[in-house]
Amino acid sequence: MTTETFKLGYNDIHDDVVRSIVKTGPKYYIALATAGGVTLLCFFFPWSYQLYYGIGAAGMNHPGVWGTYLASFIFWIGLSHSGTLLSCVLHLTNSSWRKAMYRSAEAMTLFSLVVAATYVMVHVGRPWFIHWAVPYPNQMELWPNFRSPLLFDVMAIATYITGSTIFIYMGSIPDFAAVRDRTSGWRNTMYTLLSLGWRGTDKEWHRLHWAYTFLAVLIIPLAVSVHSIVSWDFAMSIVPSLHQTIFAPYFVVGAIYSGTAGIVTVMFVLRKTMGFEQYITKLHFDNLGKLLLVLSLIWTYINGVELFTAWYSGTSEEYEALGYKLFGYYAWLYWEMILFCAVAPMLMFSTRFRTSFVPMLILSIAINIGMYTERFLIVATSLSRQYLPDAWGTYVPSPVEISIMVGSFALFTTLFLIFVKIFPSVSMYEVKETMATPKMEPAAPAAGSPA
Amino acid sequence: MTSNVIGLFHDPESALTAAGQLKGAGFESLEIMSPVPIHGVEEVLGKKKSVIKNFTFMGALIGGISGFALAAGTAIAWPHPVGGRPIITMPPFLIITYELTILFGILATVLGFFISSRLPAFRNRVYVPESAVDKFVVTAPCDDAEHFKRAEAILNDAGAEQVREIGESDL
Repeated sequence: MTTETFKLGYNDIHDDVVRSIVKTGPKYYIALATAGGVTLLCFFFPWSYQLYYGIGAAGMNHPGVWGTYLASFIFWIGLSHSGTLLSCVLHLTNSSWRKAMYRSAEAMTLFSLVVAATYVMVHVGRPWFIHWAVPYPNQMELWPNFRSPLLFDVMAIATYITGSTIFIYMGSIPDFAAVRDRTSGWRNTMYTLLSLGWRGTDKEWHRLHWAYTFLAVLIIPLAVSVHSIVSWDFAMSIVPSLHQTIFAPYFVVGAIYSGTAGIVTVMFVLRKTMGFEQYITKLHFDNLGKLLLVLSLIWTYINGVELFTAWYSGTSEEYEALGYKLFGYYAWLYWEMILFCAVAPMLMFSTRFRTSFVPMLILSIAINIGMYTERFLIVATSLSRQYLPDAWGTYVPSPVEISIMVGSFALFTTLFLIFVKIFPSVSMYEVKETMATPKMEPAAPAAGSPA
Repeated sequence: MTSNVIGLFHDPESALTAAGQLKGAGFESLEIMSPVPIHGVEEVLGKKKSVIKNFTFMGALIGGISGFALAAGTAIAWPHPVGGRPIITMPPFLIITYELTILFGILATVLGFFISSRLPAFRNRVYVPESAVDKFVVTAPCDDAEHFKRAEAILNDAGAEQVREIGESDL
């Protein structure tokens, strides 16, 4: 992908990206106000109510002591998996089509993680004790149990948030410098600080390249470990249908799957709303579609393995859990998930489907609905059918839980809307790299007036 | 008086040629500023070595050791015997080790990047804003006017669109 895709010059990219940051229309403010308002109303208000009233405001009770909070937590951690992970893998394999889209994909990672971390606060009920999960010397002589998967979670997610933040920031330094030269006032001050005095010298590029590559190498195994560890929160219990060795790969594949679908959704929206039609093209949707297809096949296979393992175990409690999953109270959700995540993605065998924007958008949203359902089912069906029949029961989310779930999407949108006005959401220098380098010819007039 | 000669080029190849000729003419501390990383700089300006990998490695090593020490130390200081199993249990502690290896590796890489690229630097340095957009810029410090003249000639011969002088007072 070089000259054919981009008929633009270096200057045009610069202008387009700077414009996307400094020129803000009323539509943006309406979107931001809506998203922010919904966040306050649907996320923070019910949460405050729950903090005041107590965790009983949520519909969780024995045996369903985990509910949508935990399901949403897994969902958001999963959604975070494509951005940085995909970006790292594509960086190391020199896939140039990554360059136009990776910045916003990484932002997705970061904000999904922020939402997931907020969900932990919601889930624990008493978030003012959350620091007890962190190992630090204190007068209570309280130390966490390092054998617990929940503590693995704390370590993994803290590392992952740190790593993803650093990765997106490092990749943006040259672009901050480029925007710095074009802005004035408080923006100029902000970008001067963010760009750290970057000048784009040969030495700086060389150092950035290596630092970036090392970070990519470190973050790939990290991302894989994060969702494996999240899966062990479940798999290390002895609950039938959760106690399976397939869980780590199951979660990792599911995470990358829903994350990639999330990228398709975000790309579609960015392309439409920010005027990036020339940078995010059919090629990206085609490639992402192929990736999604492969992931969907792996995901379907692992689902088969999960069912087979339960059946092959030959134990009555696993049989019960299996039958309950396929034909019980939540069965309609199970078959909805199969339809959205295993059957519908087969459409992507067709090139025409992969290169059509609106169908891909619809499919990507459907996949993520299916993947949310998957996480809900993992939590809800397993706890509903444990060993003792007198401890069986069903879990239905309360209005507070449903509202917070809706609000979390608004929270994500709000954060993303703020991001597109601060970060250059398309990586300028890397898109420039994919273009043919300028050749000896009469120079075009110099850059336009500062924005 | 020291000043800096600045040559703006439209394309990376001529900038590299100019840099090579300047180097051949005895100019030192050359810098090429560009909107994108250019390939082939090392052939012209000499091989670059970065210390970042040492930072990454040391960071990861220290992280791994401290991760294991944290988990094992806690287990020894607050023993929690479970059915006669070992107090220092390898599988879970290796996970903590793994995560801290990566965390410290990442942080050390950033530190290494800052140190080896001399960033953050907010003092005024030779900089041409066009180099962030679409110009490839070659800069070299010159000792005197005669030096500058020579550099200017070389840059112009190599096809510079513009040659400027940035003195210390202009920074």
